[in-house]
Parts: sequence; C-alpha cells; structure tokens
Amino acid sequence: MSPQDHIQALNPIPENWIACKDCDLLIERVETPPGGKALCPRCANPLYQRQEQSIERTLALAITGLLLFLPANLLPVMSLHIVGQESTTTIYMGSLALFQEGLYWTALLVFLASIVVPLCKLALVFFVSGCLYLERFNPLLPYAFRYYHYLDEWGMLEVYMLGVLVSVVKLKGMASIVPGVGLYCFIGLLLAATMMSSLLDEDSFWTRIEQGQQGRLQ
Amino acid sequence: MKSPLTARQMGLIRCHTCGKLAFDVGHDEYEEHCPRCHAHMHMRATNSLSRTWALLITAAILYVPANVLPIMTVTYFGAGEPDTIMSGIILLLQVGSYPIAAVIFIASILVPLLKMVALLILLLSVQLKWVLDDRQRTRMYRAVELVGRWSMLDIFVIALLVALVNFGSIAQIVSGPGATAFGSVVVLTMLAATTFDARLIWDKEDLHD
Repeated sequence: MSPQDHIQALNPIPENWIACKDCDLLIERVETPPGGKALCPRCANPLYQRQEQSIERTLALAITGLLLFLPANLLPVMSLHIVGQESTTTIYMGSLALFQEGLYWTALLVFLASIVVPLCKLALVFFVSGCLYLERFNPLLPYAFRYYHYLDEWGMLEVYMLGVLVSVVKLKGMASIVPGVGLYCFIGLLLAATMMSSLLDEDSFWTRIEQGQQGRLQ
Repeated sequence: MKSPLTARQMGLIRCHTCGKLAFDVGHDEYEEHCPRCHAHMHMRATNSLSRTWALLITAAILYVPANVLPIMTVTYFGAGEPDTIMSGIILLLQVGSYPIAAVIFIASILVPLLKMVALLILLLSVQLKWVLDDRQRTRMYRAVELVGRWSMLDIFVIALLVALVNFGSIAQIVSGPGATAFGSVVVLTMLAATTFDARLIWDKEDLHD
C-alpha cells in the first residue's frame, strides 16, 4: 500500500497535521507555550507562533492605527528653515513632488508603500479581528484576510521612518530642521502598525475563520 | 522510505496563502481552490524557476542604470551636480557622516547585490541539482525575503528631500532618472523572491520545470 492509498483511506485529513511552507515536510502540530515559536525540524522555518489574546490586541492596535492615520498623513512631518525661508512637508507631499517632476512610477511606488498599503492593512485587520471579536461570521472574511497576507510585505512604514532619520542627517549641515506634530503621529502609527503585525497570530485567525465557515464560531 | 514524508508524497497540497492542507485531486492548474481561503492551489508555484529567472534578469539589467544614472541633484546657492547612489555615499563620507553612509551603503548597494547573487545561487543550484546544504539554502532564501524591503530606503529619502528642499535659487533638490531604475530593481527583486518556491530546494527527485 503506497502512502497515497494510505492517506486517501484516512479521509478527512487529521486536523492537527500541517506542512512546512518552505520544505513541505508533513508535521503533527504540537502545543507551544504562549509566545513560543514552533520551528520546522527539517529546515528551521518558523511554523506558527501562538499569541495570547491576538484578536483583542490586534483589534485595539488597528483602531489606534486608523485614528492616527489621518493626522500622521496630513500634519507636517518636519519643516526646514534656510536663510529666513521655511518649507514644510507631509508624507503624501513626497510622492506628489516626485509626480510633479515626472517620475510617475517612483511616485506611485512611494504612495503605495507609505500610504495606501499601510491603510489597507489596518482596515483589513480591523474588519477581520472585529468580526472575530464579535463572533459574527462574514463571507468576506477569508478574502479580507487573504489580501492582508498578500499586502503584508509591501507596507513599508518602518523603512520610511528610517528614511526620515537619514534625511534629517543629510540636511543638518544645510538648514535647521524642526520636527512637526505629524512626525509624532507618524511614530505612533508606526508603533501601532508594527505591533499589530507582530501580535497577529495568522494561524489561529485562519482556524477561527474556518470555524466560522462551518458555523461554529461562537 | 527512509526520508521523512512531505505533504506531496502523501498526495496533499499546502495552500500557499493560508497553510490549509487539501487532497491533490489532480485537476488542471488553476482549477483547485483552497477550501478555506479560496486561493488557487498548486503543488508548487507555477513555473517558479522561469518566472524568478525573468524577474532576476530584468532586475540585473536595471541595476546598471540604477547605479550609473543620477538619483538626484542638490543645488545649493547655484552650485551643485548630479549625484549617483555611490557618489552620494562618498559625499557623506567626506563630511564625516559615517553611520549614515554605512546605512545607505548597506541598504542601497550591498543588500540589492547580495540579494541578486543569492537568488542566482538558489536558481542555479535547483536547476543544475548542485549538492549544497539544503538547510543553509532555505535560510539564505528567508534572509532574501526579509531584507528586501529595506532597500526602498533611498527612494523614500529622495521623496522627502525633493519635497522639503525647494527654495528656488537658494537651495533645491531635484530627483533623477536613476531613482526610477533603482525603485524598479527593489520591486523586481522582491517579486523574484516571492515567485521562487523554496520547496524546490527540497524536491530532489522528479523535478519538472
């Protein structure tokens, strides 16, 4: 009897079976302590990491991020003073300036990575963790969480923050720089978004979504 | 069978999006959907090697204009000349900003270059069946996946500087075409890392691609 025949006879697939994303090894799920990371025994890839109260925490952080989103993007991040003249910038003005100079593709890239994708990620997590928190299943849940997964690496707030620091150092010999209110909101947004991503337990979110599909979310 | 069992050997497909296991019903490509997240399911990413090659070669070609063309021009009291990525780093070294010069050198020169070399090694080793440490190669792949985004640093710096320094004849910073090429390199290498299916490293026999 080949392994295939054996497994077909074993229908359905045992719920505690998982496969490693990077090497396809079939593994039986083991209980880990909260915060503990399960690693693939063959390729050492992190398989899953249990986060306590992941739904509540990511929901709270998504709301925080959404509240900070508008001030962080509309208020001036920093202003520059040079022989009596002043110039201020906000997050979106960076991509606008590139657009005006004709670098459309680069402007679009900056706009997506620093504004659109972070906003979509916050909104999607708000929707998914909100539904799971209220124990209301919505047929759009799997789609919303899937798109969060696709967008994940394209939101680059932390890289943008490093860009702000580098710009300040580059300009310090040329002019005096004053940080704006927008910068503090942006740092808050960055912290909320980063904590949200790291506290999000994708594995248990999917398990909850699946329970919702089977009508046993409560 | 001595080696440990993989999902494929058991006739199972792991959904690449949500991790759900499902039986491989042997449908055509694009016909099987994940029962949980409804994404298309395939045993291995479709044409993973050819797609990664295409993206990597395009990125390597664009890497040349990204480094040769100016990324921005700083004009200060009428004087100034176009800067490439490297000349900007040398300028920072001359004024003594060593830490920032190091950060930009790592993010803009070292990371894209090492990433492309790592992807090249991964592609060649899978295609030509080189005998290398599989664990090390998987680790290298994960490093490529993780650090790629940080190369966007220079693009963000350019966007900020262009928006901030706009004082007409006193001081002005204008972006250059090198920025577009460089941004494309970053995006293409990120896409190349996504299309490469790390499980191909471990599939020793019956490799079809």
